[in-house]
Amino acid sequence: MKKIVALILVACMIIGAFAGCGKGNGGNGTDANGRPKDHVTLKMYFHGSNVSDDKKVLEEVNKYLDEKLNVTLEPIWGTWGDFDNNAVIAINGNDDVDIYFTCSWSADEYNLFAKRGAWVRLDNPENNLLEKYGKEVWNLLPEVLTTGAKIEGSDGFGVYAVPGYKDIACQLCWDINVPLLKKYGYTVDDIKNTDYYGLGEILAKVKAGEGDNFYPLLIEGAVAERMVDNSIIVAGDSGSTNLLSYYINPKKTSDLGAYGNKILNKFATDEYKKYVTKTREYFLKGYIDPGLANAEQANNLRSEKQLTGQYLIGTQSYSLGYETQASAERGFEVAFVGTTPAYVDTTSSQGAMMAISTASKNPERAMMFLNLLNTDPYLFTLLDFGVEGVHYTKNSIGEVEFIENERAKYSPWTNGMGNVTLLPPQKGQGADFWTKFKAYYGAADKIPILGFTFNSDSVSNELAAVANAAAEYALTLSVGAVDPETVLPAFLKKLDDNGMQKIVDEANKQLETFLKNK
Amino acid sequence: MKAITKRSRLGKPALVSEISFYIILGIFCAACIIPFIFVIIISFSSEESIRSIGYSFAPVKWSTSAYEYVFQLGDQLWRSYFNSFFVTIVGTVTSLLMTIMYAYALFRKDFKYRNFFTFFAFFTTLFGGGLVPTYMVCKQLLYLSNNYAALIVPALISPFNIIIMRTFFISSIPNELIEAASIDGSGEYRTLFQIIIPIAKPGIATVGLLTALSYWNEWFLAMLYIRDAKYIPLQYLLMKMQNQADFLFKNASVIGVEASKMLKDLPSASLRMALVVFIVVPIAFAYPFFQRYIISGLTIGSVKG
Repeated sequence: MKKIVALILVACMIIGAFAGCGKGNGGNGTDANGRPKDHVTLKMYFHGSNVSDDKKVLEEVNKYLDEKLNVTLEPIWGTWGDFDNNAVIAINGNDDVDIYFTCSWSADEYNLFAKRGAWVRLDNPENNLLEKYGKEVWNLLPEVLTTGAKIEGSDGFGVYAVPGYKDIACQLCWDINVPLLKKYGYTVDDIKNTDYYGLGEILAKVKAGEGDNFYPLLIEGAVAERMVDNSIIVAGDSGSTNLLSYYINPKKTSDLGAYGNKILNKFATDEYKKYVTKTREYFLKGYIDPGLANAEQANNLRSEKQLTGQYLIGTQSYSLGYETQASAERGFEVAFVGTTPAYVDTTSSQGAMMAISTASKNPERAMMFLNLLNTDPYLFTLLDFGVEGVHYTKNSIGEVEFIENERAKYSPWTNGMGNVTLLPPQKGQGADFWTKFKAYYGAADKIPILGFTFNSDSVSNELAAVANAAAEYALTLSVGAVDPETVLPAFLKKLDDNGMQKIVDEANKQLETFLKNK
Repeated sequence: MKAITKRSRLGKPALVSEISFYIILGIFCAACIIPFIFVIIISFSSEESIRSIGYSFAPVKWSTSAYEYVFQLGDQLWRSYFNSFFVTIVGTVTSLLMTIMYAYALFRKDFKYRNFFTFFAFFTTLFGGGLVPTYMVCKQLLYLSNNYAALIVPALISPFNIIIMRTFFISSIPNELIEAASIDGSGEYRTLFQIIIPIAKPGIATVGLLTALSYWNEWFLAMLYIRDAKYIPLQYLLMKMQNQADFLFKNASVIGVEASKMLKDLPSASLRMALVVFIVVPIAFAYPFFQRYIISGLTIGSVKG
């Protein structure tokens, strides 16, 4: 019996060793001039798609790719529901996939998997893929993106993925129900010229006029707090409840904010206390719907009230052109007022990227493909919108109108595909939409710590415990449903007991190192 | 039945204890059935009702919109339904066959490597290969991806079922029977299929029900190996919808405007509950069918014991 046990254990070890060796091979292909000679198939893993029939599109795409690169594309249409699990398994299992979608918020997180050696370093002096095959796309991308993509990975400091040119800047705005505001004799400028603490008079008037069941402030607690205090999420923080905060300068985001280059426990700041105290006052006066304090329902409730116009001022993360879209959806005029200029942080600059897997047998070809996809309007439009005449038609000014039946079967996630500025404008956006787009996002400033991502490995236990505490208190505090006089101290104590300070110290240590190396 | 009437005539249990037993059993039954009733009620609740008062046994307004939506899902739903049935039926039959044969071999005392194979099966209950190696073996060595085999093969053999089956053989089949069969000139296969299996029906039904249940409820295999919507079983379809909603809620702030738009198009809570109903109903109907055998399986053990 002992012998058998020993034998099995040895067998297990050998298999385990083989499994471990699986990584790190690959990456050697043949070099080619012009149109490469040998035909290859590239598998590409997308996120957030809703595709049930891609036959017609792929026929066209592959005809074109065959001509250009001698490549056949095999997309894997990951959805919001399955990408996180499946992509990670596929990477760990060394699957035969050439290109993965990656970013700062999906489970195959860019920085983490770059460190683990899942991505090919694109500007590695040894292969120099970016220099050889990716020059066009690299030169076309805004500087914030190329800077934001440079990170520390398994092959040193460099670029591990091609960032997508999408709505790369972040701007939080007050979402304003304009007709209702006008009804009470105010204009959008009145809101621009005041701040959260000065809204009292307007809110009181509207509340009095609209009655008891009307709640003028439709805020998402955490977002409103960030808007009022100019704090931002630190990339790499614990998911839904962000614990760490960095403070930006609300006038010029590339300058230092109120606290300089420091990461803080936001709940312990004076700003936070001031915010929750005021919000409590608004809540008690009946400006905020108590339903917003219920994590399960808050999102549904907000979208319902937005759609039906049962609010005066809401919160919204803005993207260019959203006022047109929102006004059309809700059937009344909506205006957005930003509390800071649009800025680029790590999360938004790494918001959608395409990385070449180290398991790929043809990284050169994958790079050529990514270069073509991000620079060729025909190919990109085809892959994203489908075939003209089948999935969409163009109207007189060149705007795209979708043919609903077909589009429903083929809707990849546009922002997850790459350079969206190659697309024609959609109906209602106007012919010059992408010029405006480039102007708006091209002008967006970066924050001083762009590129920094917190690595929580060494404090993961504390982080989990603290995140639990935050999940218990943060939402209700931020919408004013509980009294900050008693609850805030209890919350802070709980955070301290669970090691909040250790997390903050660790984050600051990492930030210092990052700034030194930069 | 007889046993019960007899006993109650001999020594009547005290009224108090009888009542309290009924109460305990009643509570237990209620705990089992109420969640399901709740699910059905939610699936028939209107969206506004869920939004205004949350999940409730008495919704403000009833509606069949979730079911209408399910039927409009069309192809994918029926395809997934078919997949679930197909995988359950084919999987259960093959799995039973393999389990019976493995267990039968372990049951035969004259099988030389009996101990080794018992250990071989038992060992895997203690030490698994881990997710990633398993995945690599299945996908790269056995090509189990995007086909029905990927949903069936990895779950074919369960050591637990083998052990149940073997124990059942030991307790219900006398060795002499096998000897007699072989003296009468029956080959090994005939002995197994024509003599042993008919005797072991109650045990097989029990294991069969367990296997069918696990195949029907399987979504993990689909998550691992299926990328093509053609092969998605019903359970995974539901799982995906749920994950999708959760994911978008969680990441709404990073995905931004698009997320809120997509969330609006997503199936609602009542729809998910309607899908649960769709999943539960067929397997609930399978129970009475197996029940007869399971009860007789239980009594056989007790009478002999």
